[in-house]
Amino acid sequence: MEKEENFSAQHSLQLIENMINKAQNRMSDNGTLYLLWGWVVLICSSGQYLLMQFFASSKTGYIWLLTIIAGLVQIIYLSKQKKGAVVKTYTDEIINYIWVSFGICMGIATFIMTNLGSWVVLYSFVLLFYGVPTFLSGIAMRFKPLVIGGIICWCLSIISTFIQQKEILLLLSIAVLSAWIIPGYLLRKKFKSAHI
Amino acid sequence: MFKELDPILHSQLRLAVMSLLISVKEAEFTFIREKTNSTAGNLSVQVQKLKDVGYIDVAKQFKDNYPQTTCKITAAGIAAFDAYVQALQQYLSVDGVR
Repeated sequence: MEKEENFSAQHSLQLIENMINKAQNRMSDNGTLYLLWGWVVLICSSGQYLLMQFFASSKTGYIWLLTIIAGLVQIIYLSKQKKGAVVKTYTDEIINYIWVSFGICMGIATFIMTNLGSWVVLYSFVLLFYGVPTFLSGIAMRFKPLVIGGIICWCLSIISTFIQQKEILLLLSIAVLSAWIIPGYLLRKKFKSAHI
Repeated sequence: MFKELDPILHSQLRLAVMSLLISVKEAEFTFIREKTNSTAGNLSVQVQKLKDVGYIDVAKQFKDNYPQTTCKITAAGIAAFDAYVQALQQYLSVDGVR
């Protein structure tokens, strides 16, 4: 693209279209954070269920402290990724803020529930909240597995109202498996094939 | 009456840069160079021209001891790009009638 000669209107329009496609069809998410959080929540939810099954302790919830480690890993990962980024798209930015607002909602919901409600109600809301950023990210990235994962979370949230026992933790495991872990591996596969 | 095509935008490489930047929030020089398939020398000259007319903002900083140039389209750049596309459409509709 060295020439500076006059070119036709048709050619200009083709060039514009071509460049916009090049910028927008960039696959920027490699699925790492979906996999990180998917596996951590799967370990915590299934782990807590198993602990509750075998030990009648009220301290089984401490397994969720693992999420603090995941949070630290995420901070390190994001700061490294930010350094290596060569382009920032509007889609990337919107998706980031969707997840930030999800994190804030989760924090506030946990605070409200621990002060006022029961943990069983909290899990129903957690399932409901999981669906929102997953569904929206799928729409923004035009990536169907996330859209389907988000819808599954909402269905599980409704189902959870009929399961008001510790088995609700298993619904959480199913939710992260279908909304984050499976789409995470599919995203990774798509990212790798786009960057060969 | 034909609108005149903006001579700043009616150049292959400058138009390519503007089309890329209109689609993203900001992009590094290396990204633009890769996507436009241009040489660093030619691209810097064209980026400077776009900057001089106020169509793009160019920020230079250091990242891990290496210079990094980030480009971002300005409001004036978006307006100029819009006007350019409108003028193009006018030319194309006349071509279609012929």
